Amino acid sequence: MIALLTGLLSTAVLAGGVLSLAAIGEVLAERVGVTDLGVEGLMSLGAATAIVTVMAVPDPWAGLLAALAVGALGGAVFAFAAVVMRANQVLCGLAITFLGLGLSATIGHSVAGMPAPVTFAPVRIPVLGSLPVIGPAFFAQNLLVVPVYLLLPAFFHWLLFHTRHGLNMRAVGENPAAADAAGIPVVAMRFCYVVVGAALAGAAGAYLSLAVIPSWSEGMVSGRGWIAVALVIFAGYRPFNAAAAGLLFGLITAIGFLGQARGWPIAAPVLNMLPYLGTLAFIILPVVLWKRMRRVMAAPAALGVPYYRSVR
Amino acid sequence: MKGPGGTFMTEYLKCGGYDAFRRDRLLRPRGLGRRDLVSGLGAGVAGSFLVPGGMRAADRSASDSFAPVAEENALIAFGHTGPITDGGWTTAHDLGVQAVRKAFPKLRLVYVESVPYSADATRIFRQFVAEGAQMVIATSNYGDFIKDVADRAPGVAFLECDGHTVTDNLGWFYITHWYASYIIGIAAGLMTKTGKLGYVGTFPVPSVYASANATLLGAQSVNPACTMNAIAINSWFDPQAATQAASALVDSGCDFLCGITDEPAYLRVAESRGIKAAMWNLGMRQFGPKAYVSSVVLDFSRFYVEQVKARLNGTWHAAPRFLTLANGVDRDSWGETVPPEIATRADEMRSRILAGYNPFRGPIRDNSGAVRVPAGVVMDDDTIYQWDWGVQGMTGLG
Repeated sequence: MIALLTGLLSTAVLAGGVLSLAAIGEVLAERVGVTDLGVEGLMSLGAATAIVTVMAVPDPWAGLLAALAVGALGGAVFAFAAVVMRANQVLCGLAITFLGLGLSATIGHSVAGMPAPVTFAPVRIPVLGSLPVIGPAFFAQNLLVVPVYLLLPAFFHWLLFHTRHGLNMRAVGENPAAADAAGIPVVAMRFCYVVVGAALAGAAGAYLSLAVIPSWSEGMVSGRGWIAVALVIFAGYRPFNAAAAGLLFGLITAIGFLGQARGWPIAAPVLNMLPYLGTLAFIILPVVLWKRMRRVMAAPAALGVPYYRSVR
Repeated sequence: MKGPGGTFMTEYLKCGGYDAFRRDRLLRPRGLGRRDLVSGLGAGVAGSFLVPGGMRAADRSASDSFAPVAEENALIAFGHTGPITDGGWTTAHDLGVQAVRKAFPKLRLVYVESVPYSADATRIFRQFVAEGAQMVIATSNYGDFIKDVADRAPGVAFLECDGHTVTDNLGWFYITHWYASYIIGIAAGLMTKTGKLGYVGTFPVPSVYASANATLLGAQSVNPACTMNAIAINSWFDPQAATQAASALVDSGCDFLCGITDEPAYLRVAESRGIKAAMWNLGMRQFGPKAYVSSVVLDFSRFYVEQVKARLNGTWHAAPRFLTLANGVDRDSWGETVPPEIATRADEMRSRILAGYNPFRGPIRDNSGAVRVPAGVVMDDDTIYQWDWGVQGMTGLG
């Protein structure tokens, strides 16, 4: 039973990390009022770049850095169009997704299907790694797991909710006109955090292609970028919740497969539906059961609205 | 059904980025997968190319049906179900396409990747006809989407992999992969310690039943207590889902994994968990040399060259065709950790099958225990091709 739980949680942690990382990035962009629908493309771009990089420089950290840089670059293109030029955010995001999918296929064409020469191999962290269940799942996997689930969410939670800078970020997302009047540089703030979020999406791609799969093939992200965007809403635009949502999603998927593997008397299509049923349930239930959640989990008021100083 | 698909942008960039591809890909303004949000947009783009061509095809008289074509005037078109870089199914077909190119260097060859299973497929095949293709080969089952085009283009030869319909100018072909699976199953039965095999399946369709059942029957022929747990991951290509499914199987006590996915994800799981795995499509030992046992390897080169040659000579006719063991499908050479005596024992069955023996003989029970193939009855290829129930000892797959 313990072994089963450990296996289940380990799989969930490993697979959910991709979603968590991308979702944390999207939280940042959406907190400053920008819907970045380019996540899928940026993840794909990051995944391809990471593999191409480690083929040249056999160091996974180099691959991760390259993916971060490419993600940031893609994010800068998006932010230039959607924040500086104030184009429609949804359309720009879709354009980035298709650009990213296409570019990544081109970049990765020569290395498609090849095994990654170096990966983020599992490393056992002393003491913590020997805890039952949690140890093997969180502290004996690849070195990105702890940053993804603990360090990054902790840092961004502190930044968003415990610093003046974070207050300014949220102000930009809630009411950019008021923030502007208070002297906060709205465009710079939005640009900056869209780029940081996009870099994290690129890193999520690198995590996928260097730690989970580990190899590059066209279409490998297969919709997980979109799931990450959905998880941000579910997570109420909070970093820790986003990381937990990624883990939960990974867990539900893993339970579905475990059910099939163990021959539970539930039809396979129903088990395959679990992640989606779960998402629906977890979005609906808290809001229905707990009215206060509606306010706490609400989207930033100016989300998706380009900011024009001259209007009003 | 297969493949996640590229995008319009993918295709556009590849056209510009790779000279070698540009030559062969004059017809490629699409390749949108069903999951892409703007598939409607893609359909519009594709549609605009096609109106005049459909007319031209209809004008063609039936009298020049399959007339011989000079190599330099011929146009052969392939519709791939996934991207050729998937490292599995579509890559295997692409190797066949390359063999055709090598055999007929003056021939014009075109292909489109990630043809979706939708009305877009009809448009793509119709465009092949409009461009003047003498032969159109689809690497997966497109049902009525291809038949509609074939019916209106009587002078054009159509071939569909995994198809079920034969008309005057539409034939199908498929590999009898179940014999290779059976041989690998024998090795699995001898190598498993827990007696539990894991199967990473895609959809509950006949080719998946045939593959899983054949492997399990092979294993039970040497180790009657063997059982198999199968998982359907609802995709031909989703490495992450395959990884999770494989981990779940290992956590449930399986120590030998096999499957039918287009990529090698579960082999890596097997390698890292210290168990064995057998693969599909291509030799994949580089992804997990210790875990690798063998693979059901597909080789369409000879078949495609023969078919194209027949079309050029004007001798092609529509028929159902099975590629038999050692003629398009086989087990890969055994992995480095397979004990020689086990390899020999499995290969004995291979020799017997090559000599004409059919191991799929009754009594065969389904997973509820009922006898489905009575003693003395042999399942022929046509029956196995339609297999839609799991044999005794199989869980999952319904």
